[in-house]
Amino acid sequence: MVADSEVLDIGRRLDAALPSAARHPMKAIDDRAMDLASHDAELRAALFRFVDVVPACRSVDDLADHLTGLLGELGSRPMPLDVALQMGRSKPGRAALGTAAAAGVRHMAHRFIVAETPREAEKTLRTLWEEGVATSVDLLGEATVTAAEADRYARRCAEALDALGAAYARLPAQPALEADSMGPIPRSNLSVKVSALTPLLRPDAPDLGKQDAGPRLRELLRRAREGDAHLHIDMESFDSREAVIELVLELLSEDEFREGPSAGLVLQAYLIDSPELCDRILAWAARSQRAQPLSVRLVKGAYWDHEVVDARQHGWQPPVFEVKADCDRNFEALTVRLLDARPHVRPAIASHNLRSVAHAIAANRATGADERDVEFQVLRGLGDDLQHALASEGHRVRTYCPVGDLVAGMAYLVRRLLENTSNESFLSEQAGGRPLEELLAAP
Amino acid sequence: MTTQPFVNEPILELRRRDARDALLAGMAALEPKLPIRAPMLIGSDRTEGDTLVSTDPGDPDRLVALAPRATAADASRALAVATEAAPRWAATPALERAEALVRAAAWLRERRHELAALCVRECAKPWGEADADVAEAIDFLEYYARGAISLDRGATIIQVPGERNTMRYAARGVCVVIAPWNFPIAIPTGMAGAALATGNTVVLKPAEQAPACGAMVVQALRAGGVPSEAIGLLPGEGDVGATLISDPRVHTIAFTGSAPVGLEILRIAAEVPHGQRHLKRVVAEMGGKNCVIVDSDADLDEAVPAIVRSAFVYAGQKCSAAARVLVHAAISDVLVERVAGAVAALQIGQADAFGIDVGPVIEREARERVARYAKLAAEEGTIAARRDEAIPAKGWFCPPTVATGLPAESSVLRDEIFGPLLAIESVSSVEDALDRMDGMSHALTGGLFSRNPRTIERVAACTPVGNLYVNRHITGAMVGRQPFGGNRLSGTGTKAGGPDYLLAFVEPRVVTENTVRHGLVV
Repeated sequence: MVADSEVLDIGRRLDAALPSAARHPMKAIDDRAMDLASHDAELRAALFRFVDVVPACRSVDDLADHLTGLLGELGSRPMPLDVALQMGRSKPGRAALGTAAAAGVRHMAHRFIVAETPREAEKTLRTLWEEGVATSVDLLGEATVTAAEADRYARRCAEALDALGAAYARLPAQPALEADSMGPIPRSNLSVKVSALTPLLRPDAPDLGKQDAGPRLRELLRRAREGDAHLHIDMESFDSREAVIELVLELLSEDEFREGPSAGLVLQAYLIDSPELCDRILAWAARSQRAQPLSVRLVKGAYWDHEVVDARQHGWQPPVFEVKADCDRNFEALTVRLLDARPHVRPAIASHNLRSVAHAIAANRATGADERDVEFQVLRGLGDDLQHALASEGHRVRTYCPVGDLVAGMAYLVRRLLENTSNESFLSEQAGGRPLEELLAAP
Repeated sequence: MTTQPFVNEPILELRRRDARDALLAGMAALEPKLPIRAPMLIGSDRTEGDTLVSTDPGDPDRLVALAPRATAADASRALAVATEAAPRWAATPALERAEALVRAAAWLRERRHELAALCVRECAKPWGEADADVAEAIDFLEYYARGAISLDRGATIIQVPGERNTMRYAARGVCVVIAPWNFPIAIPTGMAGAALATGNTVVLKPAEQAPACGAMVVQALRAGGVPSEAIGLLPGEGDVGATLISDPRVHTIAFTGSAPVGLEILRIAAEVPHGQRHLKRVVAEMGGKNCVIVDSDADLDEAVPAIVRSAFVYAGQKCSAAARVLVHAAISDVLVERVAGAVAALQIGQADAFGIDVGPVIEREARERVARYAKLAAEEGTIAARRDEAIPAKGWFCPPTVATGLPAESSVLRDEIFGPLLAIESVSSVEDALDRMDGMSHALTGGLFSRNPRTIERVAACTPVGNLYVNRHITGAMVGRQPFGGNRLSGTGTKAGGPDYLLAFVEPRVVTENTVRHGLVV
């Protein structure tokens, strides 16, 4: 049992360790833009639809045309946007507007996407490592609709494993990041998506996607084992959940992966049936003969809007909790279960919610385990402050670092922006000045 | 019950194993019953026979249904029964008629898994499509039941002192329903349901390829409480349809099928044979040649799967299916490459396996027709993808094919092929695409992929199609959400599953009563 007073104490400490916004002047500008967007649903939609189309625009003129078209749909506009609309009426105005808008979007993208290629990401990875922060690199890409695209993504992943191996080999030792009491932890860590490894993920036929993605994922597991890297398989929408979970557990059960690599999967706490899935994962992990514990990244889940809209359009009960507090409570319950399941699993608590994080720290202490025996994960661009605070408080942190070009990254970027400006997001509540005690209260 | 607002019947959540298992159980329950004896039903008479046979398009040796072939004499008898029953059904309170339809919907709902299995077997609909077919039939019944109740209240018209004006909608009489095989449950249910809800009696001729599905529709309606005299069933071929539509006792003809047949029905229905004292009305849904415009700012991650789904799922055998893609030259090469790659990933096989995208086409002639056009496409243009290697040995399968570079006058770009053949054309602009669309005689569905609100507005304003879908697939209209029907030679402009569809099945009557007596309003 975790005492709320302890959660509160830990939360206060973490909060005090958050760096002040003043240290990142550019970030403050972004935050203001996002704040503006989160208070006006129409504007938010227009801006995000613009961000979404930026990479597909062929010229600055085309950019300006899209921007003014989207802004023109708004009932009321904040003043600077009215100015933008007026600029769009002349050719030089459009050029200036298009250039500025593209630069704005690129700037925003760079906050969330570390580089275009793993090689170019090396500098960022090194800086983080030196600050005591590990990473998991995620290769952004266009949707996979053909076999060639699946092959290409698999090849990029293999190359990324090589590049990460080379980059991390050059870095000095960081003992705190390289082992916990369950054993060594690989430096290189790559997150992959099954939906990018096959064009055949079909909700009504999970076997199809499994069979098609299987050989590509098996190759990546081999590559990770050879390069002593950790391979993490992301979870996506509920449509692919069965295929992903079955594929990962089946492949990791194969004899050839008994000694490695270190691998992991994701548990999404927003799913109503996540406790049952947790049962299944823990039962598998307890039975598993593998040398390394299964890493389980506990997240709230990034496809909430999609799941709810999809279910509503079909007349189904959404598979996700619709009340945030229910999800938060489930997250805490699952946190405790994962911590209790050590050493079969290696829990990673991935949340930007200070309460959820503080709770996990308290719960870990309650088990008497070492502080390092639970990992915390944050997203690049969204969780930077929390990452600093956690690292400075001596916790083991891993930052999820997307890598890819702007075209490929746009879907990711828009999802992150929407998340950041959603009214229920912890970050926007925190930015909105809600008292710390309320933010840290039990859900 | 009918006072609850309409909601669409949820399709099965096939991403869950229990939903898939339920469908497999439905198939297991159906199989021992095959071949089904699909009867001819005239009033309380039931006639079985085996002169009309339906087979599994994926395995033509497998019999699905045996039915009698209705003759001209049967058609005449069925019309006599329907004519005699018409006044009584029309006089039945709208609420009672609606309740019968709602009970018929419940009957379908209880048997949805087995009915979906029947669609799989008789018409080779992939599971998801088959399930949606049954759900749509339920939707039509529930939607029209409610619509008929509100229509029965009459229209609101202007009233002044001293007169009382009412405008009511009366049943027209006997409605002949000629149904297609591609939505073997939903479309006959929708057309017959609309006619019955508004007080007309119905003689249904299901498609000769799908007599068992047609029989289920009539069984559902009768089980729901529609009197047997008010709904008759005549399995048969074109000849019985021709007899029905030319008969002077018929008031309304509801037809869904090909343009040549539809035009012939319109022509015949326009004649007034001796003894006919009314004009026939035709509600016709006649197919399309549907274009998807892809502008240079489109998100191809979304456009490619949506195009492939629209063109190839159910082997392209939907009147709403995509036949032509008009893509901006700036992204045309990438689009062709990705569509070709996605077509290479299509799952082709028997419709009863989950995950199948492309099953067989309905019959031998359909396969030959598609093959003819595919050959022409290869001669006149370039084949960007063609899945010959994936064709099962048994069944009426056609290789999904993508053609590019076809000349503007090619019949591949004009005719409704109704099979898995997609043409992609590069255009210089959205305006160019709109011009090409405007040159067509079909105007059923259309698609647009663009992220510019001005482009969306412009295309929406000038496209003639009945249903334009923006940034999504162009098939799968939902009752009440996407009222469905085409313009130009695609149809008579009625919208199935829409708020004004029932008006096609009624005649408005206005009564004006003078309420002034001796200079006083009484």
